[in-house]
Parts: sequence; structure tokens; C-alpha cells
Amino acid sequence: MLDRRRPVLTYIVLTVFLLLVITPFVWMILGSLKTQGELLRVPPTWLPEEPTGDNFRRLFERPFGLYFRNSTVVALAVTLGNLFFSSMFGYALAHLDFPLKRLLFVLVLVCLMIPGLVTFIPQYVLVVNLGLANTIPALILPFLVQPFSVFLMRQFFLGLPRELLEAGRIDGVGEIAIFFRIYLPLAGPAFATLGILTFLGSWNNFLWPLVVSSDESTYTLPVALALISTGQNQTDYGLLLAGATLIVLPILVVFLFFQRHFIQGIASSGIK
Amino acid sequence: MTSTRITRRSLAGIGALTAAGALAACGRPEDGGSDPAAPAQPIAEGPATGELTVWAMGAEGEALPELLDGFREENPEVTVDVTPVPWDSAHDKFTSAIAAGTAPDVAQIGSTWMSEFVSLNALEPTPDSFPIEDFFPGAVESVTVDGTVYGIPWYVETRLVFYRTDIAEAAGITEPPTDWEGLFAMARAMQEQPDGTWGIALQPGGQGSHQSVLPFVWSAGGAVVSEDGTEFTFASAQNEEALAYYQSYFTDGVANPTPADGTTEQDFVSGAVPMFISGPWMMAAVEGLGGEGFAEKYGVFVMPQKEISASYLGGANVGVFQGSENRDSAWKLVEYLTRPEVQVRWFEIVAALPSHQGAWEDETVASNAKFEAFHTQLQTAFAVPTIATWEEVVARFDAQIEQVCKQGLDPAEALATTQSEAQTIGTGS
Repeated sequence: MLDRRRPVLTYIVLTVFLLLVITPFVWMILGSLKTQGELLRVPPTWLPEEPTGDNFRRLFERPFGLYFRNSTVVALAVTLGNLFFSSMFGYALAHLDFPLKRLLFVLVLVCLMIPGLVTFIPQYVLVVNLGLANTIPALILPFLVQPFSVFLMRQFFLGLPRELLEAGRIDGVGEIAIFFRIYLPLAGPAFATLGILTFLGSWNNFLWPLVVSSDESTYTLPVALALISTGQNQTDYGLLLAGATLIVLPILVVFLFFQRHFIQGIASSGIK
Repeated sequence: MTSTRITRRSLAGIGALTAAGALAACGRPEDGGSDPAAPAQPIAEGPATGELTVWAMGAEGEALPELLDGFREENPEVTVDVTPVPWDSAHDKFTSAIAAGTAPDVAQIGSTWMSEFVSLNALEPTPDSFPIEDFFPGAVESVTVDGTVYGIPWYVETRLVFYRTDIAEAAGITEPPTDWEGLFAMARAMQEQPDGTWGIALQPGGQGSHQSVLPFVWSAGGAVVSEDGTEFTFASAQNEEALAYYQSYFTDGVANPTPADGTTEQDFVSGAVPMFISGPWMMAAVEGLGGEGFAEKYGVFVMPQKEISASYLGGANVGVFQGSENRDSAWKLVEYLTRPEVQVRWFEIVAALPSHQGAWEDETVASNAKFEAFHTQLQTAFAVPTIATWEEVVARFDAQIEQVCKQGLDPAEALATTQSEAQTIGTGS
């Protein structure tokens, strides 16, 4: 891809795109150290003139640790659920033969195409009728297996040779062991991709936790941040940016950690 | 920032539609057709007991437990559970809860949601024992749907003209203007001062700009909805006069037709735009930005008059939801919240202006001259009409206002377009 003769040009293009991507983050982090007055100033300032930790201090006056824990528990559970169930389902759709397989796959696609808002209220009524309103499980269960995850895993497993399955059967490996011991260990890149995507989706989810939670004890970070930063007529931008900075940090850490796998994942799902 | 907020709002709209659709589809057996107004039940005697869930938004939700200490003292048997709800998408949370039957006992209700919630049969009519006439008339209008009162106004806000007293003095203006021509002349004079770029900050269309235009409509003796709330009356000579007046600020170069978002406070403090029209929350905002002593450098005055001086009345109401298992105690809580002395306390905690006129006699509220101006304006401040399709209709109006201010569209034409669009949408009744 990279043209060795023109590294300068490559670097210029890369730098431009990097700046485009990174500027909002830098603005957010610098903004979290500014006062409301400085944030609204025109022309805007880049570096805070009088850096203040006041936004963070006000943030930690709230039970931020609790919101953080709620968000983490929910995002981890949703991610693990999707990795586990969707890989099983995706594998079955890719390599096993059973009745109504095609229909099931079409149903997954249909679920993928229905906008979430259409099923929003019925889903909420369902959760209420199950007695789960205002609980942490209500934030997890509806997202435990997502159609997109199933679709992604199916496409990934389709890319792995079927011969592995046949060889396993000939050697007398059980069906379950074939999945867990042959296919699953090969799914690392797909897991990294799916893990990051579902973790991000769950971590940033706003509307569902807002509607389902009726108690600050089950609020997640985005809901809590909206609560404390946005008023009826005014927004506390400093507090908002400070909160956003804290919310982004774990995602950055996760991404840096999985980055290598993530890129492999994208590559493999694109090439195979 | 603004664009994301607008996106969320439009999402909220979709959510609301979904909610209404779900309700219609479920057809709850207790829904009694199009007229949900059952006669208000009186409140039982004795102290409040049992459990109450209360939803309140944003800072109010967080500060409410403190205000309720007095209620707990009076009613030791009661437990009140307050849920603070973010303003963003609060509407979705309510409509979902109404659909699922999990609405709280008592809640803070945005004044523009009243008619929608009533049409969903979600609110209890207010018992006759409440002295509703003690509240500001405009605020009472905002809790009245089809002639029936639901809930009580909790706090109010209205919009005044903010101006820099020092710059006005330099411009030779000693008395705030009282009529339309005076306001325009003042803005022009302020603009000509050394620091002045523009005379006054007005919203040139876009989301919420009807809130800036409507006061002039009312001031000219116009209206956008007929008295009985069944018809739109956008196209009228008075409305045209008001919109043309508003437009003149932009065509004559006194107001910036393309202001940057969120710069009003900054421009006010620097003197670049030394006037604007807004609500009480701007006092803390400009004083915070202006620093020590800035409070003496600006003043507020009531909206100038054509026929009358009129302003926009906002705020929030508090109501009891249908299906509350503890409605007697719920109404007792509402009664507590709307007492004058409790409203004064609330003013001290979150600076919300009392909706009960009696609360304004208290020194805490009355001692500040600026608040006195708000008090005066509240007498002639109007709430938006309580029709279910209001948000949808004014979104069209906002779009037309933008064309009038930025592209010089003829006000009469804009009003005719809004009228026909509004008629297509209907009043929802």
C-alpha cells in the first residue's frame, strides 16, 4: 500500500487525517480544564488560560464510582454475552446443517434491519411485565445476543475452512469440542472486533438505560452525565467535557489493548 | 454541541410518536375515548402516608430531597423516593413509562407536555381545594387543557430585555423604553457606541425562535391559536405586524442574522452586543462571566408594548399521575410544593421563580430590583397554548421565522405558509 518512494506525501496525508480524528478529543480534554466562561468565548481559546480542576472536582462530588461500576458491569456482561452466544449461533449458521437454518438466518437479518426505536416501547413494556424495571439485568438482557454480532460471527466462520470440521469428525472429536477446541481458538481477531464494537455500543447507550432506570443507583455514565450537565435552559459545558473525558478513557484503554487484534479482525473479515 | 442536542430532540419526537402508537395499539381498557376528563376527586384528610415516587428533572431533581425535609417532618409516616431525570430525552422516559403503566406518583412536567399527557389519559385533574387563582394567570393557562386544570404550576420563568446600563448611559439613554419604537431606537443607539457590533441579540430563526417572536405577536394583540384552542390563527394583520417588526432588526442591520451559538453572554459582557432578551438564568451566567461588580453594570426591563407588554412564560408544572396507588398523599405533596413559603425556600435552593404570587411578597424574592421586573412581567406573560401538536407546529413556524430573518421572506407569506402547514398537522383534538 505505502509507496516507498514518496514517504513524505504519505506522512502528510496520514497527519491530516490524524489531526481530523484527534482534534475533537484534544478539544474535549482541554475544554474539561476550562471555566464555562472561557469555553463560550469567541474567538475560542485552545489552551486553558487558567487551567482548573473544578469541573472534575464537581463531578466527583457525585457518586461517580457507582455510575462507573454500573456502566462497567453492563458493558462487560453485554460484551461477554455477545462473544459467547453469538459465536455459537454464528458457527451453527455457518457450518452445521439443521432444519430451518435458512429461515433462522433470514430472521437474524430481519432483526438487523428493524430500527431499534420501533421495538423500543414494546421491549420496555416486556421488561416491566417481567418485573425487571429499574434493575441492572434490564440493562443487559435485551442486548445479550445482538443480530449484528450473530451476522458478524457467521461471516467470520464462513471464512474458516469447512475441512476443519470434517477432519475433526473423522478423528472422532465431539461436535461441541469441534467448536470449542478447533474453531473458537481461531476466532481471536473476530472476537477482538466484536468485543470492541459491542463494548462501545453498550458503554455509550443512552436512551434505554434512561428509560429503564428509575433510580440513581442503576444509572449508567451517559445518563448520569446528562443529568448533571444539562439544565432546562443551559448546559454546563465544562462539566460535560470533564465527564466525557472520563467516559472516553476506559474505551481508549480497551482499544489500545486490543488494537493489534482489532486491525487484524478488520483485515480478515475484509479479505477472506 | 447544539447539533447533537437537536438530533436528540428529534429522536425524542420519534420516541413520542412510537409511544403514542404503542398506546393506541394496546388500547388499554380504561381509556375512555377522546374525552378523558373525569371529575376531580377531593383529597382525603390526615397526614400523608405510605410510599411516593417523584420524578424531577436535572438540578431540580437533585435538590428536591432537601426541599422535602419539611414534608417529611409534617408527615412522618411517608417515604418519598425522588428520581432525578436528565432533561435530555426526559420526554421519552415519561411516554415510555405512561405506556407501560410505570409512571411515578408525582412528577415535574414540562409545560409543553401537558396536553399530550392529558390526551394519553395520564394525569389526574386537580382537586377543587387548590387555590388555583393564587398563581400567575399565564402559568395557570399552561396547566389548563380543554378547560380542565391538571396539576399545579411549580415554578415559572419569563423573558425580559437585558441591557448594559453603562453603555446605555453613554448613549444618552436614561429611561428604558416602553414601546416598540423605543426599543428599536435604543438598540440602534447602543450599536453606535464604541464597543458595539450589533445592537441587540435576537434569534434569527432555528429551533426555539418562536419563543422570541411570540411575545411580539401577543404584544400586538395577535395570537397563533384561537381562544378555544381548536383553530390556528397564524395569518392575521397583528401577527404580520409583529413578525415584520422582528424582521426589521435584521434587515436594518441592528441584529446579527448569523450569530454564533452560545456567544450571547460573552458579547454582552464585552459590549459587542449590549442587549438581549432572555430569562432569569442569564443573570447568573453573565454575572459569572463578567466577574466582580458586573451586576451593577446591567439592568433588565419589561418587554416594550404595542397594545400591551407581553412575554413568554416558561417553567414547569407538577402533577399527579393516573393510576397512582397513593394519590391522596401524592396531592398532599403537590400542595406542600406549591405553598408560598416552600416556594420561597425553593427559590433559595435552585433560584426557580415562584409560581405562587404570594411568595413574591417575601423579602428574599422581593429585595432584588431585577426580580421585581420579572414579577411585573409575569403578570402579562403568556404560556404556549396547550394543544397536543404544539411542538410539531412550532417547528414549522421556527423554519419560517428563519427565512424571514435571513432571506428576507415576506412576513405575510411566511405566516400564510405556517398557517396552512399547521392546519395540515391539526390541533390534535
